[in-house]
Amino acid sequence: MILEPEQDAILKGAQGHVMALALRTLVDYGKAFGAKRLVSIKSAHLAGSFGSISYGAYYIVLDKFLKAGLRVKVPTTINPRPGHDLSLLNRIAFGKQRTLDFKMKQLGVTPNYSCACYEHDNIPEAGDYLAWSESSAVQFANSVLGARTNRNSVLIDLCSAITGLTPEFGYLLEENRRGSILIRLKIKKMDAGALGFIIGQKIVNKIPVIEHYHFSRSELKIMGSAMAAAGGIGLFHVEGLTPEASDMQTAFAGGRPESIITITQDDLNSLRTKYPNRAELVVFGCPHLTCEEASALAAQLAGKRFKKIVWFCMMPQAKIEFEKTDHYKTITKGDAHIKLYSHCPLSALTVQLHRRRVLTSSGKLFYYLEGAEYGDLEDCINACEIN
Amino acid sequence: MIEFQGRSLVGGYGIGPALVSQMPINFAAAFGRAANAIPGQRSVINDRHHDLFKKKIKGTVLIFSACIGSTFTGMVLMQIMYKKEAPVAMVVHATDPLIVAGSVLANVWFKCGIPVVEYDRQDMFNMVRTGDIIEVNGDNGKIKICS
Repeated sequence: MILEPEQDAILKGAQGHVMALALRTLVDYGKAFGAKRLVSIKSAHLAGSFGSISYGAYYIVLDKFLKAGLRVKVPTTINPRPGHDLSLLNRIAFGKQRTLDFKMKQLGVTPNYSCACYEHDNIPEAGDYLAWSESSAVQFANSVLGARTNRNSVLIDLCSAITGLTPEFGYLLEENRRGSILIRLKIKKMDAGALGFIIGQKIVNKIPVIEHYHFSRSELKIMGSAMAAAGGIGLFHVEGLTPEASDMQTAFAGGRPESIITITQDDLNSLRTKYPNRAELVVFGCPHLTCEEASALAAQLAGKRFKKIVWFCMMPQAKIEFEKTDHYKTITKGDAHIKLYSHCPLSALTVQLHRRRVLTSSGKLFYYLEGAEYGDLEDCINACEIN
Repeated sequence: MIEFQGRSLVGGYGIGPALVSQMPINFAAAFGRAANAIPGQRSVINDRHHDLFKKKIKGTVLIFSACIGSTFTGMVLMQIMYKKEAPVAMVVHATDPLIVAGSVLANVWFKCGIPVVEYDRQDMFNMVRTGDIIEVNGDNGKIKICS
């Protein structure tokens, strides 16, 4: 790797020992992948937002940054809080939350507290270099917005935010962004969460090109997040829809697919639980919902008599906006079953004495949450009113 | 003794019994559970989707196909290395920024990273069995099956 003179000086300690370690982290990380240089980034997004008592090493590094008086150099957003105030057990498990929030503020991080940072506080443009973590946000930035970021780890993201740099390899380079596997669809009823989950499982870490389908923005978001949980995919293309796939020729950069995989309605249905109505809790909003997404869900839920607790996990400002809408008033009229939150549903439900049966149409939440069951959107909506 | 030439990702030396899986690992789902907060239990794979479910990776040479899922991976790996409950080395069929990040972060900030080597052919994966003693040299990328 060839460093610019100023970067070389930082590495030798010109801006202090801790700054040198931050840059050393990025240099060693980049070298493993043959990166030739460090490039400037437009923004960072951090995933390390849970004040869990289990991550001691992480807090030690944060304290080193703070003691050295370092702050982020580029606009930097952060993932949701973990639902630390939801129960006694959560208050114990996430006992570091208040100090973590304080440390992030000291570091100059924007307190957006949402995984869907690309919807409001941190909106990149096509071609921008970024150093993001949060697998679902990386996926959206690369695939739907055409920006360029690797799947960076927690703390790599912060080293980049503090130095304003990221090593140039992987998805930052044009030649690593072309499609490799063609996905054909034989589907009558779209279920984006299941489709993403199955693509993730089947192709693991290749770049899928899905034949044309008129996915909505919300479907792209939920499909991408599932791919990045059940697989390690950080970039996908949809023919004629996403910015780097105007047609098949472009998506495969003139080459041919390594293989072709057909996904059928039966594949999608196989993920759905046979007993959606047994659930005690129905969760929407992994990734976080926007106000528009919550309103669309509310329109489908209008007129139902809720028999189950239903969670909407939303971006903080979208939650405030949504509370003012008629949609919100309609679904909550005399009914306490709908709960609006801005925490991460996964972390909030991770520590429980009585493990509640959770139903979700998020392939990502289904992957991570012990005991969660998957239902398509219709399963989830219908289950809300059955006891 | 059979030797394979892999690609070095993170330097260092490790020897131990192999723990082999053909499945990719989601490290955050595997080690991010409440049960993983207990000392001695930090390296138990608690991902119900995985064929190594309930297996402990401490002290092993972890040999697996790929890394999937959460960007918590690097932090989770750094934490188990810091708490000395990590594997002695990792060999991965197709590498990923997240696995490398875990060991690089542990090395730079705590001097406790483990060697990571990529081996992208199938022959070794067909031959090596869980329990075989494996030696990994992260500096030159060499992997030896000793028994």
